[in-house]
Amino acid sequence: MSQVLDAPHAGAASSPSFGELLRKILKPVASLTLTVVLLSMCMWLVFCGTWAQRDDGIWTVVRVYFRSWFVWIPLQIFAASGAKIPSWVGVPFPGGWTLGFALLFNLLAAHITRFQFRIKRAGIWLIHSGIILLLFGELLTGLFATEGHMVIAEGGSANFIEDSRHYELVFVDPSDANVDQVVTVPASLLKNGAKISDPKLPVDIEVVQYMHNSTLHEESSAQNRATAGLGLESYVEERPVVSGVETKEEEDRPSAYLHLREKSSGADLGTWLVSLFFQSRLQPESQAVTAGGKPYRMYLWNQRTYKPYTIHLQKFTHDKYVGTETPKDYRSHIRLVDPEENTNRETEIYMNTPLRYRGDTFYQSGVLDPRILGKKGTILQVVRNPSWLMPYVSCTLVSLGMLVHFGIHLVGFLTRRAKV
Amino acid sequence: MKANFFVPVITVSVFGIYLLGASFMPDLGNGKKDFDLAGARQIPVVDGGRVKPLDTVARTALRIVSGRESFYIGKEEQPAIRWALDVMSFDPDDKDSPVWNYEVFRIENDQVLNLLGLKPKEGFRYKLKDFSDKFEKLQAELDRIKKVPENNRTLYDNKIVQLKTHLDEFLKLRSLHDPLLLPPGSAGEEWRSLQEVEEEIGFKAIQTVMIKEGILPKDVKNLPPEEQKRLRREVQEEDARQLAAIPAAHEWRELLDAYRENKPADFNRLVAGYSKNLSFVPNRDQERASFEVFFNRAAPFYQCCFLYAAAAIIGCLSWMVWSEPLRRTAFWLMVLTALPHTFGLIARMYIQGRPPVTNLYSSAIFIGWGAVLGSLVMERLFPIGIANVVGAIGGFATSIIAHNLGSGNDTLQMMQAVLDTNFWLSTHVTCVTTGYAATFVAGLLGIVFIILGLFTPKLDKSTFKLLGQMIYGVVCFATFLSFTGTVLGGIWADQSWGRFWGWDPKENGAILIVLWNAIVLHARWCGLVQQRGMAIMTVFGNIVTSWSWFGTNMLGIGLHAYGFMEAAVPSLIIFDISQVAIMGIGLIPPKHWASFGGRYEVETKAKEPVREAKREPKPVPVSPVPVNIGSTAVTARRPR
Repeated sequence: MSQVLDAPHAGAASSPSFGELLRKILKPVASLTLTVVLLSMCMWLVFCGTWAQRDDGIWTVVRVYFRSWFVWIPLQIFAASGAKIPSWVGVPFPGGWTLGFALLFNLLAAHITRFQFRIKRAGIWLIHSGIILLLFGELLTGLFATEGHMVIAEGGSANFIEDSRHYELVFVDPSDANVDQVVTVPASLLKNGAKISDPKLPVDIEVVQYMHNSTLHEESSAQNRATAGLGLESYVEERPVVSGVETKEEEDRPSAYLHLREKSSGADLGTWLVSLFFQSRLQPESQAVTAGGKPYRMYLWNQRTYKPYTIHLQKFTHDKYVGTETPKDYRSHIRLVDPEENTNRETEIYMNTPLRYRGDTFYQSGVLDPRILGKKGTILQVVRNPSWLMPYVSCTLVSLGMLVHFGIHLVGFLTRRAKV
Repeated sequence: MKANFFVPVITVSVFGIYLLGASFMPDLGNGKKDFDLAGARQIPVVDGGRVKPLDTVARTALRIVSGRESFYIGKEEQPAIRWALDVMSFDPDDKDSPVWNYEVFRIENDQVLNLLGLKPKEGFRYKLKDFSDKFEKLQAELDRIKKVPENNRTLYDNKIVQLKTHLDEFLKLRSLHDPLLLPPGSAGEEWRSLQEVEEEIGFKAIQTVMIKEGILPKDVKNLPPEEQKRLRREVQEEDARQLAAIPAAHEWRELLDAYRENKPADFNRLVAGYSKNLSFVPNRDQERASFEVFFNRAAPFYQCCFLYAAAAIIGCLSWMVWSEPLRRTAFWLMVLTALPHTFGLIARMYIQGRPPVTNLYSSAIFIGWGAVLGSLVMERLFPIGIANVVGAIGGFATSIIAHNLGSGNDTLQMMQAVLDTNFWLSTHVTCVTTGYAATFVAGLLGIVFIILGLFTPKLDKSTFKLLGQMIYGVVCFATFLSFTGTVLGGIWADQSWGRFWGWDPKENGAILIVLWNAIVLHARWCGLVQQRGMAIMTVFGNIVTSWSWFGTNMLGIGLHAYGFMEAAVPSLIIFDISQVAIMGIGLIPPKHWASFGGRYEVETKAKEPVREAKREPKPVPVSPVPVNIGSTAVTARRPR
């Protein structure tokens, strides 16, 4: 795999064909030295992206470092705890998308300009096609995969998935006896000072303050900015976004102060506090906003996706090792009911054994604290990733490729050695 | 020729006899005169969620408290079980109890010693009596530290907290809360602690007597003293009656009393007859517990540490004098040492019913094992005495690391629910750790390359080429293993929480190893580096691997943060600095290298490495070892 291969044929220089022109252009892109440089840059990015997780949540890091074109790496990420370094001290660096695509071009160019398909090179072909597939898989995952939770108490059912990282403001019109009319505003629109107005909404909204993470104080005080609703008895304070997921199983809890005006009359409805704290997951605490003579229920909750099927939790078991608090096994015994597909079956979901159904995959993720609802319950992680199979394929390709490639060398080496 | 045969045979035999003796010699006398401690240490109990012999509980607790698995009374070494039984039967009101006087509490921080009014002394192990009157001071400090956020605590604060955990370990044993001593008395029943059962019985006894007498407990103090005394006696009798109804609890109480009151005949009778209480403990658990006592005694990894050191020294000597006999000796000594090492790994797998790697401790053991086996294979392929040394150093270093990692806890813990899968533990974890081992072996070869080349004339033309090939081959192997292992981890993650890649620190650490190995290979292929450059690069691989192995855990974040260990941060930093230093001296131009100076044009200008090498005349073997495979250099067969 060296750059000295494939010199152009003599005479070709006078009238270069398209292919040779392409090779000439691609040659610098195909350089192995460039591969080494790019791989080294990847290492640095990954290394920094690891340190950054001390200060920022993993999803922030993934978005800023790995699923980005460009990243500003502040020196702060390496600082000892407590030390503060201004954020302008740092280095600019290409982000994960940039490096990924650069590697992809480098690899494709190398194959176009250098590699012929020979049986001896089969290993290299396998490895590289696997890596291309892997990079594409990660790209597709980054673009299309969604993650959410389904929380079900024992004996209860659920037919919607809550997105763990996206939130929405909801107005429910319950006046129809059969169907609730729901209007949702994604939390991404709730920016400080934003004015939101839409014919479908019963009110015009002015965002006084949106907090991506907050703490709730259940008392009235001078900090209490709401003039109506649940915010009269409590107030919220902004908190930094949760850092380092999973170890503490903490999630962000957004809240917002909203100033509402009646759509039709423009009448001032006051400042309201909406918060994820008001939603105990299964029975959201609502506040009633009356607009246009109709009562609406208003919530801020995790973005919901409704499914055509229902999962019923029949039983949930949680075993520990005797004499310890170390969990041994969590298990949800569920019944899956899907009228569209005529499915009605029982199954179990437990650690390392997910349920895959209609493109969604359900994993045993956590235990519902029985103190919240007075009942045991399960928290299922629900992932929809159209490209979930790609890593499996690509990894098989790469591993196989390495076996073939290094195997050919090893066998060759041992045979030569045996001869000598 | 004779020396080539006899030197290895004699040396290996001597070490072999030592090994057999050390493994099968009976344990430290019997500790306490006339007491059947050998029988007591076999008793199965439950601790940390698994059935284990009392011996393991004793050793673990003593190791946590004192840093060793034995202690001294005067000059005489004593087994941990003696201390543990003394603690379990300890009566704090008994001022003559030997527990006050055992020198087992290791306190080495001078500020902590100062607080407790202790003077530094050799071994830093103190008696309970030495500082039992300072507990209030200690508590005051603990109350203060509790309010300090963990990140802002000083070394002193942490050492105080550490002393507290040591005392807790002692108290846990003393309160009979842990381990669970009482085996199930019927099918379906769980193991229970003696403390829990005695408390329950005590409560029930009072209740029974009060009901029988028709008195409320609060009225007892108004009764005449005589009457109170009678009631107390009644309660005691009732208590004894209830205890007798639970044979295991009754026997344990008798056993501990007999031990405290120095009645060997009673003690030995109870120990000998204890097995009748185990009818509802599966045979498999009892067999494992019994085997574990032997395993503890044999301490195979401890023996390995010593033997690997010997092999490394002999291996290094073989570079200087008497090469072939010593090279063979080192090789066969490694083979001998690999036996207890392998036995230890298999024994742990049997006791735990798990694949070899389940925590950081076992990863160290396994990495050492992989490095040793790989080196033995290499030494067969390239008999130049280098892989010997690399393997022995790898085995020795990982034994030391394992010893330090294992000092804090039972090394055979139960697995968290998500890790409770033998399939992924045996595929992903084994593969990734073998990848670590291969990367370290490459790094060690790199270090040997630099040191031999720079400081000795030993890196002659053929050794130079062979070593280059070895490094190249190991890096290929490391790339394959670390990639496959990382990917299997991804697949496991996809199976358990639906995320093939989560950018978790440990995952990132693993991918760094893959990337680095890939960089080394590509740099070699494109001629950016030659043998020497590759050797230097593999040394950096040591830093990358140590980061992945330990560094990521030190960040204290992420899904794999199961082995957080702040204490090891300085060691890691020192290791990394040493590796950078080695890389630095590796960069000294070849003309200053003792092996190259003026003799070989080995360090050719980059870009056209292989052609240069081909043009050179065939090397004349200078090494005393016949080397004749130089022409098959992997690098000469540049992949096209």
